[in-house]
Amino acid sequence: MKSSRYLVAVPAALALALAGCGGSTGTSGSGSSASGSAAAGAPTDDSNCASADVFCIGLVTDTGKVDDKSFNQSAHEGAKAAQAETNGFYKYIETQDAKDYAANMAQFTNKKYDVVVTVGFLMTDATVAAAKASPDTKFIGVDQGYPEGTTEKNLTGLIFPEDQAGYGAGYLAGLMTKTNKLGQVLGLEIPPVQKYAKGFEAGAKAANPSVSVTTVYHPAGDNAFNDPVWGGGEARKMLAQNADIIFGAGGNTGNGALQEVAKASGAGTDKFCIGVDTDQWDTVPAAQPCLITSAEKLISKGVTDTIKTAKDGEFSGIQTLGQAGLSSFHDFDATIPEDVKTKVADIVKQMEAGTLKTGVTL
Amino acid sequence: MAWVQRNRTTLAIAAAVLVASYVFYYAKNDIAPSMFGAAWGYAIPLVLAALVGVIGERSGVVNIGIEGQMLLAAFAGFFGAAYSGSMIVGVLAGIGTGLIAGGFLAWTTVRWRMDQIIAGVVLNIIATGITSFYLKSGQTLPGVIPNVDVPVLGSIPLIGETFFSGRSAIALVAIAAAVLVHLSLFHTRWGLRTRAVGEYPSAADTAGINVERLRIINVTLAGSLAGLAGVYLSMDASSSFERGITAGRGFLALAIMIMGAWRPLRAFVMALFFGFVNAIASQLQQSGLGQGEGTGFFHGILGAITAPQILGTLPYVATLVVLALAAGRVRGPAAAGQPYVKKDQ
Repeated sequence: MKSSRYLVAVPAALALALAGCGGSTGTSGSGSSASGSAAAGAPTDDSNCASADVFCIGLVTDTGKVDDKSFNQSAHEGAKAAQAETNGFYKYIETQDAKDYAANMAQFTNKKYDVVVTVGFLMTDATVAAAKASPDTKFIGVDQGYPEGTTEKNLTGLIFPEDQAGYGAGYLAGLMTKTNKLGQVLGLEIPPVQKYAKGFEAGAKAANPSVSVTTVYHPAGDNAFNDPVWGGGEARKMLAQNADIIFGAGGNTGNGALQEVAKASGAGTDKFCIGVDTDQWDTVPAAQPCLITSAEKLISKGVTDTIKTAKDGEFSGIQTLGQAGLSSFHDFDATIPEDVKTKVADIVKQMEAGTLKTGVTL
Repeated sequence: MAWVQRNRTTLAIAAAVLVASYVFYYAKNDIAPSMFGAAWGYAIPLVLAALVGVIGERSGVVNIGIEGQMLLAAFAGFFGAAYSGSMIVGVLAGIGTGLIAGGFLAWTTVRWRMDQIIAGVVLNIIATGITSFYLKSGQTLPGVIPNVDVPVLGSIPLIGETFFSGRSAIALVAIAAAVLVHLSLFHTRWGLRTRAVGEYPSAADTAGINVERLRIINVTLAGSLAGLAGVYLSMDASSSFERGITAGRGFLALAIMIMGAWRPLRAFVMALFFGFVNAIASQLQQSGLGQGEGTGFFHGILGAITAPQILGTLPYVATLVVLALAAGRVRGPAAAGQPYVKKDQ
């Protein structure tokens, strides 16, 4: 009896170890063993980050992984690219629990990293607090808009005009719909998601005044971006209520909606879906049967560019505006009529030039 | 007739619900069918998981590891299918994993007499750890689980449309399993023995029933239903495996088991009820009551109650109400949670 109890304790302890407590980390020095052609002098660990010659980049994810096919992954790729271009050192920490934001950032600031990238709207307050506490480290907050009166010179929030991307996608959907009914399956009701959603609705109504848009946000907090089953169920319900284009915006929850549309009969001929954040043609291959485009924000490019400004010293405080737009139509290039494509391209150009405002306010 | 007498409250409620459903169905034909469909879609994994709980507790084993069983099965099913290129292999891998997880729980709690709550927690943690660690992104399923339309039954308005058409075989299995578990539990020798073992194991032992063996067999086999629920989540209701894809459905199923008074068919109805409240919540949110332009006191109140965060609590509030109403009237199996120790001197 006694010895057999250990047989239970061992797998239990093992599982605890696997589940992890503080967060998992990964590094990517340019002198890594994978590539033998690293430039001479590139740092291989973070022991000398305090030195002026060594440029260290740290990244803290939101409660998600760097392979989440969404904003964490994009920011991670952007930081990796910046590491290669600056010949610096890069390390990331995947946050397991929202309570660990501060502790994870402290792991970098304690070692005097030059730049810390924090990913996601939910880390806004923690990032401002960390920037106050560590004036020598520059902080880049992806998707973070700071309140009036934030004066930290070592802090910039990288925000994107999600409403413009949403507007473009909505405009396309408004021109493409046959039933005049569109649906949106969304993650948590937070500003970046709301901007997509309101932009989408405004764009759809601008293109086609008789269109109606139904919108659902995931109600729960913890798994709002990670509930593809719920997303799929909502998409199915909207299709049954005659919607023919579904905009899925909300991490894996939205991806669930895209995949459900892809499985519906008529997918790709009279039922379509639109992805979000990245070009989901590549990140969610299961959605390809219906995915006409994605309302994309160029997170990777934004992160890379902002990190480089931090190194060059042209780092601009408080807020940096990234780019957003529509991704390629891929296989649906032939399905979408030429005049629709022209109109949408025109709208996107007007928004970029600033002559067209989406009119979205939160 | 005696049966009708004994169950007249239940029958009256059932008839009222049925009539109300049909009235709603014909009055609001633009949205009603899709709402019933959404309710059933939400209920399918809950029905299967609640059955796992019912079988376990009826045999005297509390199973709070259903969440973990489903998670492991969802993982095995999805990746089994993705790597083998065959949906059937995936489904079998998922069910098999559910069985193994059930066997683990049975062995630790019955043979080793480990605390049943702790064993369930261990299972949940193992499942979270393993599925997070070995997750590989970018995989896709080689196909879809085909829909089955049952002839004749499928063309009945409302009931046929909801339950017998446009759904995969897993949905049909869920219905069949609820009926089958009910019949077996209350009308077969196995059912009588199982209930005896869950209520008063020492008496069952005296009558010559092998308590440990029956418990191990029941808990293990129930794992296959948890496996099927997991397969449904990752291969049918969505087409991907994500960390924590079960999103608490295994725990929800336990609440539904209690709401259903440890009876399979009542649990089935309760799961449907839960799904329907959920469908109402999202429909209210969709219709955007009070969310648009407008001012005034009532508009503000309406806006506040129809905010997604508040509406999202609707299913849980309903659960609380039902559980409060049922409190004192339902009683679980007496020996659930207690390992059976033979007192042989």
